[in-house]
Amino acid sequence: MRAASLVVLVTVALPLLLSEFWAYQLGVYGLYAAAAVGVGLCWGQAGFLPLGQGMFFGLAAYVSGLAFIAFADHPVIAILSLPLAALLAGLLAYAIGAVVFRRPDQSGAYFSMITLALCLLAFQIATSWNSVTGGFNGLKGIPGIPGLDDFSDVYYVSAGVLLAMLAVGGWLYAAPIGVLWRALAQNERRLALFGFDTNQLKSVAFGISGLMAGLGGAFYAPQQGIVTPQAIGFGLSADLVIWTAVGGRGNLLGPAIGALIVGSLTAQLRDTLPFWEVLMAVFFIVIVLAFPRGIFGLAEPLQWLLEWRRRKPAAIEAPAHGTRRPPAQLALDGVSVRAGDVTILDRLSVDFGEAGIFCVIGPNGAGKTSMFNVVSGELAAASGRIAFGETGVAGLAPNRVSRLGVARKLQIPSVFPHLSIADNLAIALWSGRAEKLQLLDPRLRRWTSPMLRELQSRYPFLAAGARKAAELSHGEQQILELAMALVTEPRVLLLDEPCAGLSPEETAAVMDIVRWASQRLGGATIIIEHDMSLVKELAEVVYVLHNGALLAKGSVAEIQSDPKVRAVYVGGEK
Amino acid sequence: MDPLIVTQAINVLYAVSTLAVLALGLAVIFGLLGVLNIAHGEFIMIGAYCAYITQANGWPYLAALPLTLVLCGMLGVAVEWVMIRPLYRRPFDTLVATWGLSLLLRKIAEAIFGLGFRSVNIPLPGTVEFLGIEYPLYRLFLIVLSFATVAGLVIWYGNSRTGNQIRAMVSNPELAQAQGISIRRLASGTFVTGTCLAGLGGVMVAPLVPVQPFMGLDYVLRTFFVLIVGGLGSVQGLLSGAAVIGGFDSVVSAATNATDGYFAVLVLSILFLWLKPRGIVARG
Amino acid sequence: MTHRIQGPTRRKFLGTAAAGAAFGALPALVRTASAADDFKIGLFIALSGPASLFGPTQRASAELAAEEVNKAGGILGRQVKLIPTDAGGPPAESTKSAIRLMLEEKVDLFIGSHDSATREALVATIKGKVPYIYTPTYEGGECAFNTYVIADTPEQQIRPSLTWMMKDKGAKSVYMIGDDYVWPRKCNEYAKKLISENGGKVVAEEYVPFGAPNKFEEIVTRIKSAKPDTVLITLVGADNVNFNRTFAGFGLDKDISRLSLLLEENTLLGVGAESSKNLYSSMSYYANAPGEANKKFKQAYFAKFGDKAPQLGLIGADCYGGVNCAKALVTKAGGTNAQKCMAASEGITFESAAGPWTMHGRHVDKTMYLADCKGTEFEILQTFANVKSGEVCKA
Repeated sequence: MRAASLVVLVTVALPLLLSEFWAYQLGVYGLYAAAAVGVGLCWGQAGFLPLGQGMFFGLAAYVSGLAFIAFADHPVIAILSLPLAALLAGLLAYAIGAVVFRRPDQSGAYFSMITLALCLLAFQIATSWNSVTGGFNGLKGIPGIPGLDDFSDVYYVSAGVLLAMLAVGGWLYAAPIGVLWRALAQNERRLALFGFDTNQLKSVAFGISGLMAGLGGAFYAPQQGIVTPQAIGFGLSADLVIWTAVGGRGNLLGPAIGALIVGSLTAQLRDTLPFWEVLMAVFFIVIVLAFPRGIFGLAEPLQWLLEWRRRKPAAIEAPAHGTRRPPAQLALDGVSVRAGDVTILDRLSVDFGEAGIFCVIGPNGAGKTSMFNVVSGELAAASGRIAFGETGVAGLAPNRVSRLGVARKLQIPSVFPHLSIADNLAIALWSGRAEKLQLLDPRLRRWTSPMLRELQSRYPFLAAGARKAAELSHGEQQILELAMALVTEPRVLLLDEPCAGLSPEETAAVMDIVRWASQRLGGATIIIEHDMSLVKELAEVVYVLHNGALLAKGSVAEIQSDPKVRAVYVGGEK
Repeated sequence: MDPLIVTQAINVLYAVSTLAVLALGLAVIFGLLGVLNIAHGEFIMIGAYCAYITQANGWPYLAALPLTLVLCGMLGVAVEWVMIRPLYRRPFDTLVATWGLSLLLRKIAEAIFGLGFRSVNIPLPGTVEFLGIEYPLYRLFLIVLSFATVAGLVIWYGNSRTGNQIRAMVSNPELAQAQGISIRRLASGTFVTGTCLAGLGGVMVAPLVPVQPFMGLDYVLRTFFVLIVGGLGSVQGLLSGAAVIGGFDSVVSAATNATDGYFAVLVLSILFLWLKPRGIVARG
Repeated sequence: MTHRIQGPTRRKFLGTAAAGAAFGALPALVRTASAADDFKIGLFIALSGPASLFGPTQRASAELAAEEVNKAGGILGRQVKLIPTDAGGPPAESTKSAIRLMLEEKVDLFIGSHDSATREALVATIKGKVPYIYTPTYEGGECAFNTYVIADTPEQQIRPSLTWMMKDKGAKSVYMIGDDYVWPRKCNEYAKKLISENGGKVVAEEYVPFGAPNKFEEIVTRIKSAKPDTVLITLVGADNVNFNRTFAGFGLDKDISRLSLLLEENTLLGVGAESSKNLYSSMSYYANAPGEANKKFKQAYFAKFGDKAPQLGLIGADCYGGVNCAKALVTKAGGTNAQKCMAASEGITFESAAGPWTMHGRHVDKTMYLADCKGTEFEILQTFANVKSGEVCKA
């Protein structure tokens, strides 16, 4: 809070220190800075780069410009158009995001190119649609906001807009949704397996960034009195990205500072320094290569601004999973999965029990992890049914499957490396428990549960909340991921080689936890394992997979004496 | 046959073939290395200016080729070393860094040559009469040369040892390295090949377009869209992308007007980016 | 685990205070030194962006005029001081500069040599507080308060030259091609009236998107098929160069003439000698325009700037006229009071690079030239004296 009041104080006092023109200039760039905050949100938090934000800025500018012209005699209505224009831009951004992110794509670069192409299209429409936008010469004669004629008024209006967007940004970064965005940027697959709709998260981020750009644009029209296609075009979009990169995309103030400083300096020095633009280009390249955290990243520790905590706040008990979810039986029936010519799963039919610890074994390439992948919705089944209790699961997206109560621990420890341990565990707690709107409530970051406390007492390092997950050893990361899976209190727990890379002591501890959790949760725990001693210790039933089909099923002793199994393992036949 | 239709048909062929050869450099870099080189257009510009320099000094036009290869080659090596290699795993940062590079190259060209247009004389002037129409000779020559370049590259890639090594590197870098293939040198060489191909494209089109520092911007987007629409990693992809983008633009422009053609290309590219991001010829 | 806020807060406060102080100091650093009663002219020219290739000659021509005016005693006894400012970027940037010049530099007058979009933005910003003289080619219709236009109008560019094409060169059918924005459209609107007046025919009217990477093979093929007598070109910049080269490349220059309305020395250089046959241009100034006035102007220009003198052309020479216009206007009005200037503007005469011009209705009637392109040089074919601007603004 002290940081916030300081920023407000400086903002209010600044025009008194500066000349009238500088106050005006900052006022103009303040609107761009508001848009830059949105770029920082997408790029620095959620991990995708929008290259066409100008289209939202410009769209809102044209809309509010037209409104101010049409309602010149009814200024109140005109002023109402300001937030409405911004909202329109935000909704458009959300719609674009929802439609684009839904398609599975190899890299976010495609999204960036789409936003770029859309921005060019918007520019072309603005230039060609003479009757509405005034074409290349622009929309002229836009009246200003009545009562605000002074140049210093311009500053205060823009400062207000910027501060509002910073406040919104700050709140979002500290709220659960901010944690989820950062998690998404680090490990999208893992986040989806916790039941979060990552596409919607990205769309929301994009929508909010559109809203921020739109608010800047909406105020731009009455301030400038004219809106030309440059306000909607690629030049502004490119500048926003540059300012964000130079200022520091990872934190809240960085993009705003970048826009204010770099933008104003460029305007000032462009006329006097002939090689200013060459310098800017070199500077920009250096920043990208050597200082990815930008100017601001050098001056301030990243963490401090992202977490607005005062003292250590009291923990809040997380709600239980609605009504106690009944255990359910996981069954695969004739599931086939193919990739090109290779058959990965061959009419696999497995009936797991409702409760207990089951182990899945088989030689390499038997399809064990693929079976997990098809259950959790990451692989598409060409044929067959997958039932989870009464529910058919085949064809559901991973986050939907997860919400049915399926938790997964991946083969290679997969946590959110740059988030703190506390945040990692919090994400697991929110999984399946937090309603969508609750994700805007910063109090959720204080959630805890009896299961979590139990795990923290067994593994004290899980309570050292502020440490980054990447600082943990391999074994500790395995345990963290396991803890995260358990904290979701799943009905089916899929563990993929949970003891890989662990020392004997760590392995024993994990086995303890698994047994304890299985009893506590009462559901099924399915473990892929190679180590027969572990299998003997834990398994109630063992399933042997081979060439994508079920080879044998039974107790450990039965399996060990089964001639088919021995042949496969000893290498008698393929 | 109506001469108008025949001429427009050859215009389409010309549009497609030049687009294909200009996209070739980017296809190599983006398709094989997965790197977004936004400065691709500036390498084309460098090639065009090399053609201008050659002519200004009174040398034969073909002298522009080695000049371009040297310039784009050296620049490509430097850029790959300084900018691309450290950023292989950060695609957005590559995008942003190469963009800064394109800014820089534009400004340097401006500082050396100024902002005015330079004109490069057509090495093969005049028109040719056939099929009842008259068509510029140099453009016809370019159509042939473009297809030959693409074909030549494909054949070389498919049959040479280096081509095999590149294929290995693309599909399984660790395994390739284990087999003793120097990934670093190969990646660098691939990048340089891409920049040199761009420069050569610039030499080819220089007599037909206004040569000025901003010319690269025009090409970057077009060529990206060609690759997006056509699909990365195969020559069929490159050609189908060029055919769709170039053909669509040309046909629509011929039928109605240039604005509609431009709109059509933009809308089409967006649709492909959205619905079929792996392109027409998607490699598995 | 507690959070220590003291340290960062103090650091941040100091940092922000330092930044604020630096901001406050910057303007003082950047402001240029000038005497208190200089007559300051804000000169809007293209210092960046695609049009900035004209920047050097715009600046040089204006400086030459300012020097001559100052030698003759300045404006109302005050020495003229030019403040060159960039108008080559988006209009919003230019309006910011205008505000800075009015607030901080307290300029007495503006001269602008830039596109119409910027002009309209500046008019809205300046709001007539300070006289504003607009100098290059434009589409007509500017009558804003305290604004004076010495730019070529469509009537001036089109009436004499197109009439000559139709009567003397026998061109009956015209194909129109231009960039899609207000200036070409207004020009074509005027041209259509003139063509029907002279009993001609408009074969087609085509526009290409402004600012897009256009290629012209398809359009040229269409023109070839339509077989007009002449093409009226309102393309600008790279489009103008590209179109003309493609046109000639397809061999159309043999049978079809071309009249381009914004073809100056730099563009012609880009078009190149191979593509400039049967190509005509019509403007109020060329570097090799005939007449004593231009001879004197060039003598003074090359004497001042020597070998490094930037290439002369309409865009550039217009600034010379603009400065002289400023002197005539303010001298007759006895100051920069808006009402007095508006009233005084009628009938003032001042020296442009091509000769004396007189202002009527806040526009200028002038001598227009029709030039043929020979290689990469212009050869003046026709001189049309005293062509009316066709625009009359009420005082």
